[in-house]
Amino acid sequence: MLSPPRSERLIGGVIAIIGALYVLQTLLSYDLGTLRRMGPGMFPLFLGIALTAIGAAIAILAPDRERELPDFAPRTAGFVLGGVVAFAVLVGWFGLAPAVVGCVLVASLAERPPRFLGALAVAGVLCVAAWAIFKVGLGLAIPMLRWPF
Amino acid sequence: MEFLGNLQLGLATALTAQNLFYCFVGVALGTLLGVIPGIGVLAAMSMLFPLTFYLPPETALIMLAGIWYGTTYGGSTSSILLNVPGTPANAVTCLDGYPMAQNGRAGTALLMTTVASFFGASFGIILLMTFSPVIAAYALRFGDAEFFSLILLGLVTSSSISDGSALKGLAMTVFGIMIGLVGADLNTGVHRFTFGQLQLVDGVSIVALAMGLFGVSEVIASVGKVQKNAIDTSDLKLKSMLPDREEMGRTWFPMIRGSSIGSFFGALPGAGPGIAAFMAYAVEKRVSRHPERFGKGTIEGIMGPEAANNAADQTAFIPTLTLGIPGSVTMALMLGVLMIHGITPGPNMIAQQPALFWGLVMSFWIGNLMLLVLNIPFIGLWVRLLSIPYHLLFPAVLVFIAIGTYSLSNSPFDIWAVAGFGLLGYFMRWARLPAAPLLLGFVLGPMMEEHFQRAMLLSRGDFSTFVTRPISGVLLAFTALVLLWSVKSGLSRRATAGVNAE
Repeated sequence: MLSPPRSERLIGGVIAIIGALYVLQTLLSYDLGTLRRMGPGMFPLFLGIALTAIGAAIAILAPDRERELPDFAPRTAGFVLGGVVAFAVLVGWFGLAPAVVGCVLVASLAERPPRFLGALAVAGVLCVAAWAIFKVGLGLAIPMLRWPF
Repeated sequence: MEFLGNLQLGLATALTAQNLFYCFVGVALGTLLGVIPGIGVLAAMSMLFPLTFYLPPETALIMLAGIWYGTTYGGSTSSILLNVPGTPANAVTCLDGYPMAQNGRAGTALLMTTVASFFGASFGIILLMTFSPVIAAYALRFGDAEFFSLILLGLVTSSSISDGSALKGLAMTVFGIMIGLVGADLNTGVHRFTFGQLQLVDGVSIVALAMGLFGVSEVIASVGKVQKNAIDTSDLKLKSMLPDREEMGRTWFPMIRGSSIGSFFGALPGAGPGIAAFMAYAVEKRVSRHPERFGKGTIEGIMGPEAANNAADQTAFIPTLTLGIPGSVTMALMLGVLMIHGITPGPNMIAQQPALFWGLVMSFWIGNLMLLVLNIPFIGLWVRLLSIPYHLLFPAVLVFIAIGTYSLSNSPFDIWAVAGFGLLGYFMRWARLPAAPLLLGFVLGPMMEEHFQRAMLLSRGDFSTFVTRPISGVLLAFTALVLLWSVKSGLSRRATAGVNAE
């Protein structure tokens, strides 16, 4: 784990680099215009400069003593985000019901230990609820089931 | 009597069957999600945001607003019973609410926080009704330079007041404006920062941003942390709820003071109900003749804060509806709803859309009356919900977020964006970068650019227009003061930290 002042420097540095890259992209791609008649690049140029300056200030003014950064929980984050991604992948191919089941199952892996029986029950209830709310209630044109092959 | 006519118009709008129904849906869901820790108002609102596309704008706002003030009512329930705030705005209520529950007075605490909430909310609504038309009429004189300075003041204040370092808040504001500029430029049609992605030409979807940044990252942060506790429901009979007469008498002044403090901080950009409740608690403790009772379950310790946070919920609408400048993320979402429906927020809105404004305001009265009913006779129902384990709940939240996003455009791209912003939100939590300024910057950024360009066009490229126009100059002076103050408090914090280190 990074010590607090160093982690603050790192965060400030990353922000400053993002700002600098943003300035670069603005200058390379968009017309600045004049102060009177601004082109699409003028306002972004100011923003990029501001972000670079603020990032640098965060890095330079990093306090000597701060609370430690919280522990990173890549496992929880990965499975929760994985659930959302599973939904995005499944819904286009197979329809709403498989996407709901996939999302719930992947996301429930984030709990330790995972409880699959509970998750399956939740998935079942949610399928019915999704059908009732979005299909019957709002009349959305999302198929519940679809077979692409 | 124009005022009475407006009230009548508002009541007629708020009392249609559809608006009553969605007002009820909003406050009931708000209470439900407020009671359950780990699902905050932002997650709740971003989950229901997609639904608002299918509703007329006033109905959509009535529902979203119901969720917003409903969570603040519901949030005190888990503060009192579990010592876990249902929403951050109810955190202070734990201090005296939980000890009251441990003394067997949970029923009284729940009843009285509801009374305080209703009192505070009524106070806030009356201020909202009185001042909004006046402020809007005054703001009609504002030109582009004034609006630019006003937006700048709002963004700077909200990033300096929010918790943590002011610099980090400012950085996130600028980053949010950058995300807001993605897409086709209004004047030239040039595609800015789309990196060849056609889905980005219309800009980043506010729904995907809000759901990822607040909904998904909140779920990640809560998984494995929210515990369920055993609750004794025997204290929740209506008879055991009533306080005695002496105690009742001690609640009036805390409610009045709390409402005034809450109304002030609610209207201030970036402050909001959480800070309002905290200030109210501090004031109650200071003016009390028995400060030693605080923290041990004294009724003043819950009445002040709960009146304050609900008053703040209502007055937060003043800058949003009169100037079009949201002071918090929830208000930014409300503006998002208006813009999606093609209504330009700003000082003209009250005059041009009287049914929308007065309908919304009158719906607050109705919604708060509904909450009174929902939270007193039916309190047992909500308490039972506290025993639903979080591991069954969070996949459901994710599914609603995913379906809601997908329903907007039927394209998986937006769901990928939710996942991407969820990751960003989680990183930001880890690095203690506040997410609220980012969303405010996102909403206000494009407006800010437009006003900036037009003001500079009118002044023929002369920056001094922002200082020489009196209203704009005063606003910029305030902005400079806020910046100086936050630099000063930041430096003094640094100095004390250095002293402690030695």
